[in-house]
Amino acid sequence: MLRNYLKIALRYLSKNKLYSFINIFGLAIGIASFVLIMLYINYEQSYDKFKGSENIYRVYMDYLEGDTFVPGDAMTYNLSGPTLKSEFPEVLDYVRFFYFEKMTFQLGDRIFEQPLGSLADPSYFDIFNYPLLKGEKEKVLSQPYSIVLSKSFAQKLFGNENPLQKTISAFRDGEEAVLTVTGVMADIPKTTHYRNTFLISYETEKTWTDWGPKAHELNWNANNYYTFIKLDPITNADVLRQKIIESDIEEDTEEQHNIEPIEDIHLYSNKPYEVSANGSITRVKFLMAIAFIILILSWLNYVNLSVTKSMERAKETGIRKVSGAQKSQLIIQSLFESILLNLVAIMLSLLLVAIVLPLYNGITGKGLNLQLGSLSAFLPYFLFILFGMVAAGLYPALLLSSYSPIKALKGKIQTSSQGLAIRKGLIVTQFLATIVLLIGTIVVTKQISFLESQPIGTDINQVIALKGEVVTTKSDSLLINEYKVLEEELKKLPFVEKIAIAQSYPGDSFDNLSSSRGILLPNGTKEDDKLFYTYHVQPDYFDLVDIEFLAGGTFLPSSNFDGKQVVVNETFLKNMGISSYDEILNKTVGFWGENEWRVTGVIKDYYHFGLKSPLLPMVIRYERDVNNILIKLDASAASVTGFESSITQIKSEWTKIFPKSTFNYTFLDQKFEAQYQEDKSFGAAFQVFTLLAILIAAMGLFGLTSYTVVQRKKEIGIRKVNGATIPQVLTLLNKDFVKWIGVAFIIAIPISWFAMNQWLQGFAYRTALSWWVFALAGISALLIALLTVSWQSFNAAVANPVESLRDE
Amino acid sequence: MLLQLRNIFKWVQQGGQRIFLLKDINLEVQEGEFISIMGPSGSGKSTLLNVIGMLDTFDEGEYDFLSESVHTLKEKYRSNLYKEYIGFVFQSYHLLDDLTVEENLEMPLLYKKIKSSERKALVADMLDRFNIVGKKDLFPTQLSGGQQQLVGVARALIGKPKLILADEPTGNLNSQQSEEIMQLFKKLNEEEGVTIIQVTHSEKNAEYGSRIINLLDGRKI
Repeated sequence: MLRNYLKIALRYLSKNKLYSFINIFGLAIGIASFVLIMLYINYEQSYDKFKGSENIYRVYMDYLEGDTFVPGDAMTYNLSGPTLKSEFPEVLDYVRFFYFEKMTFQLGDRIFEQPLGSLADPSYFDIFNYPLLKGEKEKVLSQPYSIVLSKSFAQKLFGNENPLQKTISAFRDGEEAVLTVTGVMADIPKTTHYRNTFLISYETEKTWTDWGPKAHELNWNANNYYTFIKLDPITNADVLRQKIIESDIEEDTEEQHNIEPIEDIHLYSNKPYEVSANGSITRVKFLMAIAFIILILSWLNYVNLSVTKSMERAKETGIRKVSGAQKSQLIIQSLFESILLNLVAIMLSLLLVAIVLPLYNGITGKGLNLQLGSLSAFLPYFLFILFGMVAAGLYPALLLSSYSPIKALKGKIQTSSQGLAIRKGLIVTQFLATIVLLIGTIVVTKQISFLESQPIGTDINQVIALKGEVVTTKSDSLLINEYKVLEEELKKLPFVEKIAIAQSYPGDSFDNLSSSRGILLPNGTKEDDKLFYTYHVQPDYFDLVDIEFLAGGTFLPSSNFDGKQVVVNETFLKNMGISSYDEILNKTVGFWGENEWRVTGVIKDYYHFGLKSPLLPMVIRYERDVNNILIKLDASAASVTGFESSITQIKSEWTKIFPKSTFNYTFLDQKFEAQYQEDKSFGAAFQVFTLLAILIAAMGLFGLTSYTVVQRKKEIGIRKVNGATIPQVLTLLNKDFVKWIGVAFIIAIPISWFAMNQWLQGFAYRTALSWWVFALAGISALLIALLTVSWQSFNAAVANPVESLRDE
Repeated sequence: MLLQLRNIFKWVQQGGQRIFLLKDINLEVQEGEFISIMGPSGSGKSTLLNVIGMLDTFDEGEYDFLSESVHTLKEKYRSNLYKEYIGFVFQSYHLLDDLTVEENLEMPLLYKKIKSSERKALVADMLDRFNIVGKKDLFPTQLSGGQQQLVGVARALIGKPKLILADEPTGNLNSQQSEEIMQLFKKLNEEEGVTIIQVTHSEKNAEYGSRIINLLDGRKI
């Protein structure tokens, strides 16, 4: 029986090539898109999952803003962990990290710059269940000056030698520490928000730098540490959170401690001072919606086409019925055909996925793959596909098997008005989905170009930030002098327009920016609960990055206030309630135990972090410390070759003065743009999947019209014989589709308006949802549909009516 | 007695008026009869045949088939009844274009859940009897009309029905092909005792039967 079904199904599919192609291809694209998106979502949802991770929470700070507490920094104090552990029995253990974006190591003559590492408490391996390959869990981080290397970092340093008990030098603010390798840990998976490549024992901090002992004292002053706690598995985390908030361990009315599951950090947390840029649950939700829309779209296509096609098969069904077929047998046969078709589509879709995966990884920037291991996570999706497959096959099957045999044999099957309504509904739904996706694409694209074209209050084109690590034991003042020499040498290069020194710059990460509170204003009020952000630069900085002064000017190099000067921005004035420049200009403010910071200027607001974050209240200090050397290049360095030769010359000047060092540079504008990277790839994904959805819908429409045109062939012939012109026939055939698109369009507007508004909430600066966005999407959908439909209807309209009437 | 129709009426409503398709039909058919139904177009021949074949319902009257009262049966039992005992032959053959001759013959057996080996034997037997072994792998479109109808008759017979209903079986055939099909019917009726009811326009074909029923405007005359 099954063999018979199979044989007939295969013959049918190969005979009706257009039908089979549209169906199989449409389904395959639908399933492939679904799988691709789900792979991405699955990846995003798999962050920070390891054995026991469900009991690990991150401690973070809430800050008082007005009357309510809002999530503040992701970093906590060095007292936070120990206090929570001693006050709450539910907290079994804690680990603190002091994070290094990168660190310079020296081994013999070789100098390495290694990104991502931390000072960590010895409890690390009890809390993070990542394998330790060499060394003993209890001992590796217990002694000062111990270091645990990741497998690949160990490989890089020592090749295949056993690294245990070997020593390497690490540098921090020029201070060398000789560290002993006590362990090797497995590389941390990519799906981790905090990917340490080395861990240095926490106790090392105490004696490493001059300020180490002070920093090491337990205090509630500097929240520079990430703290993770391990809860007793029986703990109700929500109750504990409430207890932690209420107990106010720090006894500070302006801020409170809070906790969040480590597993939620990647998708739900976007606080200042995150370790790395996190994902976004909104994006995940949007992509998931797109995935389901496309899949359902391809099923609707399938249902619509098979229903239309089933009328052609009415005669066959009639014959089978009078030959003794039971209704159930006909249903099973029809289902069998649809499952066969779906299976072919699934296989094709897997092939498609395998082909486009490398390209897709390029767009998303993730290393996704089809692993057997991830199959269990895919089981619900697989079941969903299976369910949809059967559901999509069932409707045509039921319809087909319900035809009365006499009518079927006479070929008099007409769709009932109810059936027609269902099919119209399906088409409207398809258009609805298409228009919603179109609107989404337009809004995302518009928002990204809005962000990119927005004035940011500063000019960072052709500016590079030079930052190398100098391995030396020279004193700070000597080093500063050497930098001065370098600055003078670089200024002599013909392509260097300007040079300035800065700790941070527009587009830089949060790490070089401090947040602080408790500023003493010139009028004598101390603002305890108002946050401000601060970094330090040297006088030429403002000119180089073209930040405009509203009042006053940059620091005076030779003044008495040298080292105690600041520049503030508009937002700072606004937040502190200062209405005129006179209230603050050339007056002093106080913070950090120093009351003589002289305000030399007020700058116009600029965006330090791009337009995703709001404008920050800034206090920019004058300090002589050297961090980044910013260089503005002239037009001659704009070309690739010009740039390469410029960089070579800069590098040779650098190595002349600092022979033992690493050399690094970044383009400021590229770094600034990089914060939109995730949004851009989201936009790209949105565009690609929208195109695919349109393709599916258009293919379905094409298939559908090819049958309706056949059905109405006689009608068209009669009308033409009676004098209808080609345009009149075209209008007749196309006006239904225009009507349906109109209905879909009207439903699509509120849905997409609501959805895109949600998405835009993620941005501090948003483009408007203008009326033309909707109009453009509607007109595009209409044009696409009309083009698809007219292809067929035109052929029908120009056909000679004699042909169509003869065979009756 | 194979079947009996008593006072059968069938009508459709058109503009508030009843149009009678069948009017007070009484008919008894014994096993082994060969009946021809004749009458002009629209006289209700095909409707009567469909009612007998239980493909169509009627509005009034009683119908017994093998002592089951069809008019009291539910749709499902009714269709089981015709599926078991009645074979249909159509004017336009109604073979499945996607299936070969052999597969077309096998099709009804599939629905009766007959084992594969037995199906093969029955099909081979039928091909042999109708002398179409050489054509078994051809598709219907590759056959002449007469040959297609031969396959149609063979398919109707393969389920060993008690009754064959043929609706103008030779309507699409030339005179020679018609002759052959009618000879075949006659042979089946005489040698194998198959009961046959056919609808026909042709006096000549009607003569093959043992009894002729004439209809006019839904009424027996």
